[in-house]
Amino acid sequence: MISLHNISKSFGTFAALHDIDLTVRDGEFLALLGPSGSGKTTLLRIIAGLAFPDEGQVRFNGEDVTDLPVAERKVGFVFQQYALFRHMSVLDNVGFGLSVRPRAQRPAKARIRARARELLDLVQLDGLGDRYPAQLSGGQQQRVALARALAVEPQLLLLDEPFGALDAKVRKELRRWLRQLHEQMGLTSIFVTHDQEEALELADRVVVLDRGVIEQIGTPEEVYMAPRSGFVSGFVGDCNSLPVTVSGGRAEFDGQPLDVAVERLRDGPARLDFRPHDAAVSANGHGLPLHVSGVYRRGGCWRVEGAVNGSGQIIEIDLDADQPAPRLGSQIAFSITRARVFAEEGTQ
Amino acid sequence: MEIALSSQLQMQAAVAPPRKRHRRSRKSIVPGFGLTMGFTVAWLSLIVLIPLSALFLRAAGLGWSEFLAVGFSERAIAAYRISFATAFAAAALNGVFGLLTAWVFVRYEFPGKRVLNAMVDLPFALPTAVAGIALTALYSPNGWIGRFLEPLGIKVAYTPVGITIALIFIGLPFIVRSVEPVLADVRVDVEDAALSLGARPLQVFVRVILPAILPALLTGFALALARGIGEYGSVIFIAGNMPFKSEIAPLLIVTELEQYEYGAATAIATVLLLASFAMLLLINGIQVWTRKRMDP
Repeated sequence: MISLHNISKSFGTFAALHDIDLTVRDGEFLALLGPSGSGKTTLLRIIAGLAFPDEGQVRFNGEDVTDLPVAERKVGFVFQQYALFRHMSVLDNVGFGLSVRPRAQRPAKARIRARARELLDLVQLDGLGDRYPAQLSGGQQQRVALARALAVEPQLLLLDEPFGALDAKVRKELRRWLRQLHEQMGLTSIFVTHDQEEALELADRVVVLDRGVIEQIGTPEEVYMAPRSGFVSGFVGDCNSLPVTVSGGRAEFDGQPLDVAVERLRDGPARLDFRPHDAAVSANGHGLPLHVSGVYRRGGCWRVEGAVNGSGQIIEIDLDADQPAPRLGSQIAFSITRARVFAEEGTQ
Repeated sequence: MEIALSSQLQMQAAVAPPRKRHRRSRKSIVPGFGLTMGFTVAWLSLIVLIPLSALFLRAAGLGWSEFLAVGFSERAIAAYRISFATAFAAAALNGVFGLLTAWVFVRYEFPGKRVLNAMVDLPFALPTAVAGIALTALYSPNGWIGRFLEPLGIKVAYTPVGITIALIFIGLPFIVRSVEPVLADVRVDVEDAALSLGARPLQVFVRVILPAILPALLTGFALALARGIGEYGSVIFIAGNMPFKSEIAPLLIVTELEQYEYGAATAIATVLLLASFAMLLLINGIQVWTRKRMDP
């Protein structure tokens, strides 16, 4: 079990992390999700021992490892750009962790090579051991980096934007495969990503970070369906925002009352968030008017873009593709079936 | 039918090895090869090849036995030995300390970094004689540094040690400027990766960083060595120029010239040139070998 207590870190005057508390369970697959500059990579590096917090504690299984350097934490770290050793063959890359052990614990050379071959089999790169990193594709390099990290038998696997530099198809395959590997090896894994889709698909739990603060921790379902802040709502999943006015527990948009429950919000301006699939065309013509400016197919839906009520506010809604697509330039009326209202930034 | 047949013929033609390679297939996508290559050859001939072949011709005019007699006289051999030994020692020491200097410039930020960085190039700009006189003043037995070394029994000026010091001064920028950009290219995350795999700092340096910068380090070493072998101006002041003890080969050439012994001078120069060329070729070979391992 990994636990972080009151972790803070600044670079000069920039506060990268502020008062972070986090517990990672054994065997968990955890995503650190946030935009660039949110502190997610810094947090990962602090867990690894590649960076050290200004304040707070890092504990592995209750033991304080805050001041322990990376070499002594028994973690596997996979870097964003793979960071392979270019002058070594793939096999030597994978065996590196074993070959730098103190002589007493170092396996024989033949044993190291055999172990490296096993790991290459595991990451499905058997037969490529004699190549050099420059001769491999991005996806293959990524798997070499993973095999190299696994060679030291880490209790914890840390991945920094592991799929960032790969094309979409390879990325999807690798994701699924990584998830399997995680289960199969009984690892505890933490990965950093700015791609919410990746976090929702892969992780057991998602930690959403913004400007050095944890905004929400929860399962992908919780984070998507019940975002706890306006930031999480806007960052995780496609989201439309409309400026509304709250009065007496009801939200109004452009003078029109909306059928949305508002809890614990003072009267005044607020922000209403809803997902494209939480909208429906109203048959009777009542509802919010949408001036259709774009329509394209998105899987089983029409993704319809347009301005609401001439306010210039562009939103997107998904309509059933079994129905004919709305014509460009036409006006349709829609109602919002599920939404959340958040106080405007800074007024909560 | 005819169409089918002709396509079959075409297939055969495609399968059969081409008897004569077509000119067009060899055309490079980068244009201007002929022109640039022409200029390169003409320029190299004018600047390097013709003067050097004149040297060889002149030396050849000596005849084989006379060439051996003057090119490998005892005094000449002693001079070669001193020249190569001091140049090699200076390049090697520069390899270590120049690498350290480059490391500091690449990895750390500190006040005065730009000024210090500009100072590295000074040996390039300074007239070498000025450097030689300054170093001699410092290291002579009553100089600022020499007076402290004298009681310890260390003689610098007028010995091969002094020559080496002059050559270190001359060669430093070659190492620093060759290594710096390559070192800056070694990503910090590669070091982090090695550390995360349990490597100790020394292992990170020896097994990860050094192999990555070795080709550049060798380039710097070769340049410093070549410069050291040919260096004249800064050495003659500090060397003392005693035959068999502190006389370098370039000085011997000048000495011969001053005595109108043009044949002897060219013979010595030819030996020096061939030996330097062989060494540079060897270093180049090592470089190609290390680079091939990195960018196959």
